[in-house]
Amino acid sequence: MTYTEWLREDRLPHIYCAGCGNGTVINCTLNAVDQMGWKKEETVFVSGIGCSSRAPGYIMTDSLHTTHGRALAFATGIKMASPDLNVVVFTGDGDLAAIGGNHFIHACRRNIDLTVVCMNNQIYGMTGGQGSPTTPMGALSTTTPYGSREPTFDLCELASAAGANFVSRWTSYHVKELTRAIHNGLKTSGFSFIEAAVQCPTNYGRRNKFRQVMDQIEYFKTHAVLQQKADRLREEGKPLPENSIVVGEFVHRNRPAMGVKR
Amino acid sequence: MTRIDFMQGNTACAEGALAAGCRFFGGYPITPSTEVAEHMAVKLPKLGGVFIQMEDEIAGIASVIGASWTGVRSMTATSGPGFSLMMENLGFAVMTETPCVVVNIQRGGPSTGQPTMSAQGDMLQCRFGSHGDYSIIALSPASVQEMYELTIRAFNLADRFRVPVFLMADEIIGHMRERIEIPDSVPREERRLLDKGTLPFHAGSDLVPGFPQFGKGYGVHVTGLTHDERGYPCTTSPSVHEELVKRLVAKVESARDEIADYRVTNPAAEVVFITYGSPARTVEQLIHDHPEAKIGHLRLRLVWPFCEKALGEFPDARVFLVPEQNLGQMAREIERHTSVPVVPLPKLGGALHTPGELEKAMEIWR
Amino acid sequence: MRLVIDERRCKGCNLCTMVCPYRIFKQGSKPNARGIVVPELDRPERCANCRLQALYGRTLCGMCQMICPDQAISWQEEEKNEPRKVAIEF
Repeated sequence: MTYTEWLREDRLPHIYCAGCGNGTVINCTLNAVDQMGWKKEETVFVSGIGCSSRAPGYIMTDSLHTTHGRALAFATGIKMASPDLNVVVFTGDGDLAAIGGNHFIHACRRNIDLTVVCMNNQIYGMTGGQGSPTTPMGALSTTTPYGSREPTFDLCELASAAGANFVSRWTSYHVKELTRAIHNGLKTSGFSFIEAAVQCPTNYGRRNKFRQVMDQIEYFKTHAVLQQKADRLREEGKPLPENSIVVGEFVHRNRPAMGVKR
Repeated sequence: MTRIDFMQGNTACAEGALAAGCRFFGGYPITPSTEVAEHMAVKLPKLGGVFIQMEDEIAGIASVIGASWTGVRSMTATSGPGFSLMMENLGFAVMTETPCVVVNIQRGGPSTGQPTMSAQGDMLQCRFGSHGDYSIIALSPASVQEMYELTIRAFNLADRFRVPVFLMADEIIGHMRERIEIPDSVPREERRLLDKGTLPFHAGSDLVPGFPQFGKGYGVHVTGLTHDERGYPCTTSPSVHEELVKRLVAKVESARDEIADYRVTNPAAEVVFITYGSPARTVEQLIHDHPEAKIGHLRLRLVWPFCEKALGEFPDARVFLVPEQNLGQMAREIERHTSVPVVPLPKLGGALHTPGELEKAMEIWR
Repeated sequence: MRLVIDERRCKGCNLCTMVCPYRIFKQGSKPNARGIVVPELDRPERCANCRLQALYGRTLCGMCQMICPDQAISWQEEEKNEPRKVAIEF
């Protein structure tokens, strides 16, 4: 079986813009799920609202496309009521960190056996490019026309501080690594959080000097710094290169979890 | 054998839910509904169920909806501000046709208002609170016994019609302690599962589609977006949206006479009280004190959808007096259905109407 | 195996042209019927997965398929070439 068998072929092509990284993350997630050997009828995909959250609609399994920011709360209900189901949550930066921030930290705290894949495109794509809690300082969006002046959330640090069992970050350029990270997350019992930095050519790239999709992918390629290297630089007291995206596996531990398969 | 007990309304509600087979409770503490959650927290783990205290009421109702999709009977209990927080996800439950039970032990509002006092100010909110057009079912108990019975009925109605069903009690009923008879067995109407090979949101003549439970291999996509019969989002077609919303409303409204639940006293009366919840107790006292006066009393146990037929039980009525712990919310609905004058008798602040007050109102219209 | 781009799904983002180690994908030049400039294939038989997937029994490389946001890239079984007698005229 290959991961393409998990796709709802009759729904494709999907609604994402040309070059949107969300499609890549769907590929990686399905590939990882396929490697787990899970059955379709035992797997549930849950999502909130936004571009990322349209993903479960393209997947064959039972899927719940819920209200904005609440995906984790719905998933908690599913997983606690039926621990035998494998629950994967797709979410976005606005969905998870802004409106759903409270649910996020509490799901991490409870350490519920979910795998959360966050497609972080640093913008509200569906509504036309408004600033989100992860829009970098200085970046332009329709609601930060003079450059964002708010500090951003580091979602991975948030998740590990709140108690998640597995935390990792990759980008949509690092497809193999991202697949492996999601696979490890699925294997880990407890709350697994995988952040995937994705390109949004239509609403982020266009306003922020990435004229082509490839420019943004090139940016991910050149600015990604492996966590080990970042640690080494920190030890040596050297600063991280500007605008670098630290990638890798940040947390992998075995704290007591809820909703684990009986 | 029936068991006689003495308990609080909120406890009776929780006991009713357990008897009805509820095995998931997701909620957040809020006065005056907390005892429901507390009792569930004690009992559910022993019965193999799940009690989870969520981070807020939004998450509470969300977890209940999620649990319901795995085929478990699930409920939450809240009050005032918590009920307001739940509104968005209740609309989601309506759109996705998720059976669930929401207990609202009403308190004085708006805002934080009177946490420990009784009110009935959420009667229109439970009907119209979420955005868009929809229809729901709401029950209103007037005794501890009814807290038990109507909670069970709420689960059966929710599973049959696949709608959120509200138990709109008030603080007085919730915190009152009374004698209660607990029967051995309770009626149970199961959720009808979807026939394999049928489209997941295709409804037959009863307008309620079969339930494609998660984990059974239906591979259903459930979305709060306007969806077609396959469950796929279809947000730009006017006809799909119109058809869907009309069906969601019609499946409840077309059954209003069948599910109607009310109690009639003195149908030949000319002056008729219409009540639900705790004000019914005052009217009952009034009738008890003046048996010769032949006071009419229509007590609604099922408030929404409002049953027009019930008004026809009083052919000689000259006036309908509606004592409520709000500024006339149901009186407005009753007015819509009759040419007989409808007089709201509002009372705010948490105290019950006294028989004297009602008597005075009655004298004016006699 | 043969590499194919599903023209009904491709949205012309050209990410495949960036990741392929063999540079099999080239930016297209002409828009198709849907107005999308689908990448062109340059000697796709060089693709490692085309040649060796059957031998190894698993997907090799597969970068283009994984990164393709539109699920447009796949490999199809090729029909076996029937040995045929060919008369050669000198």
